[in-house]
Amino acid sequence: MQTVMSGRAMRGMRVFGVAVLSLGLLSCDKAITQTEELLPLTASSTDATAGTWKMIVMTSATQVAVPAPTAVTSDAYKAELAAIKTAQQTITPAQSERIGYWAGGGVLRWNQIVRGLVARYNLPPAPRDDGTYVFPDANNPFGDPAFPFANPPYAARAYSYIAVAQYEALKAAWAYKYQYNRLSPAKADADIRALLPISDLPSYPSEDAVLAGVTVAMMQALFPAAVEDVTRRGADQREAALLSGKATSSDLAAGLALGRSVATLVLARMTADGTGNAIGNATQWKALADTAIAHGETPWLSLETPARPPMLPNFGAVVAWSATPAELVSARPPAPFPVASAQMKAEVAEVRRTVEHLSTAQRAIAQKWNDGAGTYTPPGHWNDIAADHIRDANMSEVRAARAFALVNMAMHDASVACWEAKYKYFNPRPSQLDPAIRTDIGLPNFPAYPSGHSTFSAAAADVLGYLFPGSATEFLAMADEAGMSRLYGGIHYMNDIKQGKAHGSRIATFTLRRAQADGAP
Amino acid sequence: MEFFRVNRRGRLLGALVPSSMVTALMVLTAGVAGPVRAQTLDDADFMKFRVLCAGVLYTREQWTDYWEGTLKRSNGNIGTLTTTSATYMTAYGVTDRLNIIASLPYVSTKASQGVLQGQSGHQDVTVGLKYRALNTPLTTSGMLQGILSISGTVPTTDYTPDFYPMSIGSSSKRATGRGLLSFQGKNGMFVNGSMAYTRRGNVTLDRVSYYANNQLYLTSEVQMPDVTESALTLGYSGHGIFAPLTLVQQRTLGGGDIRRQDMPFVSNRMNFTRVDAHVRYAVPRSRGVLLMLGASRVLTGRNVGQAASVTAGLLLAGKI
Repeated sequence: MQTVMSGRAMRGMRVFGVAVLSLGLLSCDKAITQTEELLPLTASSTDATAGTWKMIVMTSATQVAVPAPTAVTSDAYKAELAAIKTAQQTITPAQSERIGYWAGGGVLRWNQIVRGLVARYNLPPAPRDDGTYVFPDANNPFGDPAFPFANPPYAARAYSYIAVAQYEALKAAWAYKYQYNRLSPAKADADIRALLPISDLPSYPSEDAVLAGVTVAMMQALFPAAVEDVTRRGADQREAALLSGKATSSDLAAGLALGRSVATLVLARMTADGTGNAIGNATQWKALADTAIAHGETPWLSLETPARPPMLPNFGAVVAWSATPAELVSARPPAPFPVASAQMKAEVAEVRRTVEHLSTAQRAIAQKWNDGAGTYTPPGHWNDIAADHIRDANMSEVRAARAFALVNMAMHDASVACWEAKYKYFNPRPSQLDPAIRTDIGLPNFPAYPSGHSTFSAAAADVLGYLFPGSATEFLAMADEAGMSRLYGGIHYMNDIKQGKAHGSRIATFTLRRAQADGAP
Repeated sequence: MEFFRVNRRGRLLGALVPSSMVTALMVLTAGVAGPVRAQTLDDADFMKFRVLCAGVLYTREQWTDYWEGTLKRSNGNIGTLTTTSATYMTAYGVTDRLNIIASLPYVSTKASQGVLQGQSGHQDVTVGLKYRALNTPLTTSGMLQGILSISGTVPTTDYTPDFYPMSIGSSSKRATGRGLLSFQGKNGMFVNGSMAYTRRGNVTLDRVSYYANNQLYLTSEVQMPDVTESALTLGYSGHGIFAPLTLVQQRTLGGGDIRRQDMPFVSNRMNFTRVDAHVRYAVPRSRGVLLMLGASRVLTGRNVGQAASVTAGLLLAGKI
């Protein structure tokens, strides 16, 4: 009996070992990094000529006047330096953390913040009990639905206006910096510690305050419900510049005022760009279907329950950045295959075959590029990609702003052009033509042809390839994968993807034309 | 393998098969999102020394209403979500007081409306040990038992956790520890109370960013909050019948709510209170055949579907 018991006990021990091993499968540390890691920015060049680079919205870099700073010999300035010294003696751990955060670069940090806001607000309105939908109201941003619905066209426009406003404001700041040539506090006074890498860039007006001023003002217009959050972040950025020895209070005040004034100029363009009419009305939505029927075509139908009005049918009339309306029309892709044609039947069959035999790798690609509701959208994804390259290139703030401005102007133009074509052709989604086609990602509530992902991605990849030629092939491969992800997801035909990609590249040429002539070396 | 015969009173087999096997399946798929966790080792039943039990359980779970955060609603783009699962399971008596239990479900999801593709595949394998640490007469009317169990769960396939509510699981590796106290009366009635804590490993998505907990995460890795479960069971065991009625409460220790009109997300705070009932019946003169029938219903929840399920199972038990 004794031996039997010990045999059982031994077996028990062995099984216990298995269970302990299975417990060991869990790593003890679950901590994850929430944001992209950014090392303190040490720009490879100060880009001293940026004040002469061509403006986009403003008539000149000095359209907004910035008064001359007080002399460095003045008592007022000496008092500012003394205030920094005092403040540096009582830096709290929280302040120190914020200095470290903003050290990564204001343009990169703000781009991350915008992506977060887009993801926060990229949710479609919920249907009401009577099966209708209410559109977001800019005058009631905290309501249900919240304002905005930061869908891909809204997001592309927001990214582009924020990036362009930052770029304009920084070029203006650079013009004054080199006009007034005031040394940064840490360079002017040996008793002020440089808590960040501080370059030879003149400090008046402060680029950090310019960025805070212009970005907060743009965000207040685009994401009004986030005003409290972005205002606090703007204040943090200015405080970090002061505490780190980068800027005095007058550098900051001049920068903040300049940034806000530039935002006013850019917002004047934005509010008149036609987005206010993009939603349209029930009569216009019906006319889209009637026009398709009159051409002998099958009109797009919302496959949502209850049926949802099409997303931003008039967005194609919004003002683009680098192409005229005539140029956009001439770049428009040819008509899709007629729904009754043999080619279209083959395209539908291809989608069905793909989703019914989807591999794990294909599903992963569909999800990788899904960028659907609740995410930072396809333009946000390309900002994410751009941010890594901008970070690695150690660009000055003004050059980083140029890169984001060019990529995002191209994507906004792609968005306008793509939406114009989508509603010109009003082409059904695969699941409408074959209800057996089930999707592995959410089905967008707007016409299929051409693929927005493909258009955005081709435009972004071409501009990024211009900015970072060494990675051009990589960008094109990403754009191709992004396009194909829509076939794998079951939401686009192959022709949508091919034509969207070609369309995106044509749209990018308008931005590249601008980039090649803007005076930036 | 020599199967046991059911004795005349039917008690023998009644004590062979842990009811955890049945309960486990009903736990499996509760949630907007399908399986929240796999097998629980949450009863006071033990396999006898060298007795092996194996079988399959089939569960069909449906919900139409779900809680978007705390807001109860339905969704025309989902209609009714049906999750079916077939779970292969086995339990073995290492000793009379130490059992090893394993299970692996095959799960399928399907929405009655909308265009979203149903998902299916083998889900997570769970291996657990259950140990009776205390077994003492209490008063003259019954026995008090104290039971400890630990288990580990690992996904067996690379199904996606990023397509809730269609996903078949969270794809998170998990470790669970449970303590259970049971009072078993001589008249066949019993009362169990248990508490469990599940530590969940991080999940990796195929995308490089996601929005959760009111912020954007620029990473593929999702931190999964841990989960607790408490359960209270009232039941009867005798005459070849084992019939527990259980109130289960799951609490997720963190995670965000589903935002308005958003899809659910793998790390959401999925909470629920659910009632489970099932009956296990040892077929007389069948040499170890057990039949099971069960049902469950979610009463209240957060970020989960108001699921109702039915379960049927066939198990064979015998000494090896």
